Amino acid sequence: MINIEIDGKLVETERGTTVMDAAHKAGVYIPHFCYHKKLSIAASCRMCLVEVEKAPKPLPACATPAAEGMKVHTHSEMAVKAQQGVMEFLLINHPLDCPICDQGGECMLQDVAMGYGGGASRYTEEKRVVSPKQIGELISTNEMSRCIQCTRCVRFGQEIAGVMELGMANRSEHAQIMSFVNSSVDSELSGNMIDLCPVGALTSRPFRYTARSWELSRRKSVSPHDGLGSNLAIHVKDNKVLRVVPVENEAVNECWISDKDRFSYEGLNSPERLTRPMIKQGGQWVEVEWAAALEYVANGLRQITRSAGAEHIAALATPHSTVEELYLLQKLMRGLGSGNVDYRLRQSDFSADGKQAGASWLGMPVAEINQCDRFLVVGSFLRKDQPLLAQRIRQAVKKGAEANIVHAADDDLLMPIANKAIVAPGEMVNTLTQVLEALRALKSSGETDNAAATSIAQSLAGGERVAILLGNFAQQHPAAAQIAVLCEQIAVLCRAKFGYLGEAANSVGGYLAGAVPFTGDVQGMNAQQMLDKPRKAYLLLNVEPELDMYNPQQAMRAMSAADMVVCLSAFKHKGMDYADVMLPIAPFTETSGTFVNTEGRAQSFKGAVKPLGDARPAWKVLRVLGNLLEVAGFDYDSSEAVRDEALGAAPVADRLNNHIEGVAIAAAAASSGLQRVSDVPIYSADAIVRRAASLQKTRDAAQPVVMASAAELQKLGVQSGDVVKVTQNGASVQLTAQLSERLPEGVVRIAAGHPATAALGAMFGTITVERA
Amino acid sequence: MEKIKDFFKTFLLIELLKGMALTGRYMFARKITVQFPEEKTPQGFRFRGLHAQRRYENGEERCIGCKLCEAVCPALAIKIEVAEREDGTRRTTQYDIDLTKCIFCGFCEESCPVDAIVETRIFEYHGEKRGDLYYTKPMLLAVGDKYEAQIARDRAADSKYR
Repeated sequence: MINIEIDGKLVETERGTTVMDAAHKAGVYIPHFCYHKKLSIAASCRMCLVEVEKAPKPLPACATPAAEGMKVHTHSEMAVKAQQGVMEFLLINHPLDCPICDQGGECMLQDVAMGYGGGASRYTEEKRVVSPKQIGELISTNEMSRCIQCTRCVRFGQEIAGVMELGMANRSEHAQIMSFVNSSVDSELSGNMIDLCPVGALTSRPFRYTARSWELSRRKSVSPHDGLGSNLAIHVKDNKVLRVVPVENEAVNECWISDKDRFSYEGLNSPERLTRPMIKQGGQWVEVEWAAALEYVANGLRQITRSAGAEHIAALATPHSTVEELYLLQKLMRGLGSGNVDYRLRQSDFSADGKQAGASWLGMPVAEINQCDRFLVVGSFLRKDQPLLAQRIRQAVKKGAEANIVHAADDDLLMPIANKAIVAPGEMVNTLTQVLEALRALKSSGETDNAAATSIAQSLAGGERVAILLGNFAQQHPAAAQIAVLCEQIAVLCRAKFGYLGEAANSVGGYLAGAVPFTGDVQGMNAQQMLDKPRKAYLLLNVEPELDMYNPQQAMRAMSAADMVVCLSAFKHKGMDYADVMLPIAPFTETSGTFVNTEGRAQSFKGAVKPLGDARPAWKVLRVLGNLLEVAGFDYDSSEAVRDEALGAAPVADRLNNHIEGVAIAAAAASSGLQRVSDVPIYSADAIVRRAASLQKTRDAAQPVVMASAAELQKLGVQSGDVVKVTQNGASVQLTAQLSERLPEGVVRIAAGHPATAALGAMFGTITVERA
Repeated sequence: MEKIKDFFKTFLLIELLKGMALTGRYMFARKITVQFPEEKTPQGFRFRGLHAQRRYENGEERCIGCKLCEAVCPALAIKIEVAEREDGTRRTTQYDIDLTKCIFCGFCEESCPVDAIVETRIFEYHGEKRGDLYYTKPMLLAVGDKYEAQIARDRAADSKYR
């Protein structure tokens, strides 16, 4: 620790930190543009010039290391004069278009100019003009003349997003920020550049010209998308969500959010929103009052209970539903006498049900990822499924950690990967067994024959803080329980933390709320069994069966055959073909609720806007349904009361446990035929994001294709770009074939969760591809 | 002494005569009454009357929808909606001033960076019901188009004091 003096205040700061860090500690504000605490130091804007005693010239605070006994003046005549000079130069080329600039009112340059800028410009020559750029659908770069070359966006790409998509070309007055020729900015974290840009050069394209910053009310919320539970600020005007920005929370999302969290709000204002309760009468949808719709549902459920028994009623919910909704749904079902309730819609292996000691969770706090020095990530489309957790692993790797991958697709994770085993889905269990054996062999200095497994084992054995993480793919895998058991054994051998990267906002909360068939007083069928043995009635909470389920084909069949399908949904969707009742419920911005993120952090939020039309919060709908069906204990006054009952008095942490007992490892038989590998594309994962117009125009939302390795394409006799016929379980669709060098042999990769592939069967399994 | 003075005042009608003297003076002084509406009082170039929206000489509307006037309006009389026009420029899709709310403080024209919203010298306008005084964008532009010459003269006269 060293002592330095800033504006007369004595501060103690760590050796190696800068004057800027010390000033922050002392609570002294130094104007700056290019400095950002999460990015490397550029010292290019020169705004943070300060006077340091015994230094002949002013020094940039962001790039000057603090030294013992240093005396810094941030408001001395020399410092202020330097800052004013820099400001005058910055404003020379900055256009005077604040009135039409979307950044106006929340602009760093505007704010600092108020303090350090002159009243009038002495510059009379022509201003620099930079041509507009086109870098994608999310970031507007129409006014690049506003750029002050701080290079925050460039550094963000290189350091946080892991890929340099923007760069500064040319020198001095001709310097400009641009993307590579003919390429756009496609990072799944690109929206953060909008926040980082201190001026209005990079602004949000969907938000363009819709409101001024001072008109917006800011309301806190929590992301309903991936398992991280990013903290959000919902910006609202006239009861409409106009944009979403991050709320800083170092323990969860730091100061970033993914594009999915940022731009999905467009889905909330989609024309597909369901705003009135509807009943199908004689094949026609009729809008009715809430009372009539709920009475209809209650009567239908009562009738089925009487005629066929309560076990013929099934309830499915997405893991994007809140704890309150899931809790009331399972309470309603169990009150009716049916234990058929599940929220693990894309899971296929339920053999660990009842054998696991608690809820599947990350196995450690999110923030601890940055401290790990070895990773084994099993079955994860990491960047697309958990963009910000991927970012944390990237930061750890940058500090020297080694990342090891076992997966069926070798997607570019934008970080150096130490070892990887890219194998067909059927081989994953074997590969992990080999890693385990290699680890055991290392302990007894033996050898195994699989080189990749050995090097992964060596890497893991060499670490001190090891994390073994199971991704969405591993959780959806038909042998998910075995994979988990193997990973746990590996974890025990190298004293690692073992955990799951939660698929959705409430993957942990759903278990805690009891929305699984194997807990509670009434037990029933899991999501798969409900479809294997079709039920007479289905209650669907937020679910679009053809997009949200493991096997959409089977789901559609079961729904079509059912006597009664009740959709609680915020949107009109394809389910209207077979549903009997559509109940409009409020999405996360319009209801209060709680999400428990993958590290077991329960985060409650309030509604940011009023529900659209006649939509109502789902917990209220379920409460009334409970009352109508005369189920005991449905007298809640608030969602908080539901939450307190659902989560109980005991800390959430006590109920998180990844330990599985009693699942045997069976060596997988060699599978015959072509195997399907499915990812759920980042912008197809849930109902809201599927309707976000701008996200749907990005490259990540492109039409699904059939990806296969060169050898596989050759075997099939097709070329990249050909249209092929894909057949699975008797249904076929036509898709374009695409060469991918990032897949093992014997597999084709076809996205799930998309209307174009909804007719196909399960996300894993044998599939045939032939020329169309 | 005072009592004696008051006593004489009560019957000598001195106050009355004083009043009559004032009346008499005005009877013969120069008349300042204006025969409105045939005659009009003189106005300054800063007179703050009915609002108008101006255009540039090429017919393009000046307003860029920055919403500063809406933000500064103390009576919350202005309502603006903005969207991107086909040519990519920022334009208002709605610009309403509720003249029944307006207090004619002139902050809107003061805040306008492009001199789009101005207050004209017109003060003798009327509406037969409340809604008539809810001025929309076409109405404001029509006022501007009609009185542009006068508005431009007034802005020019005021410019040297700014």
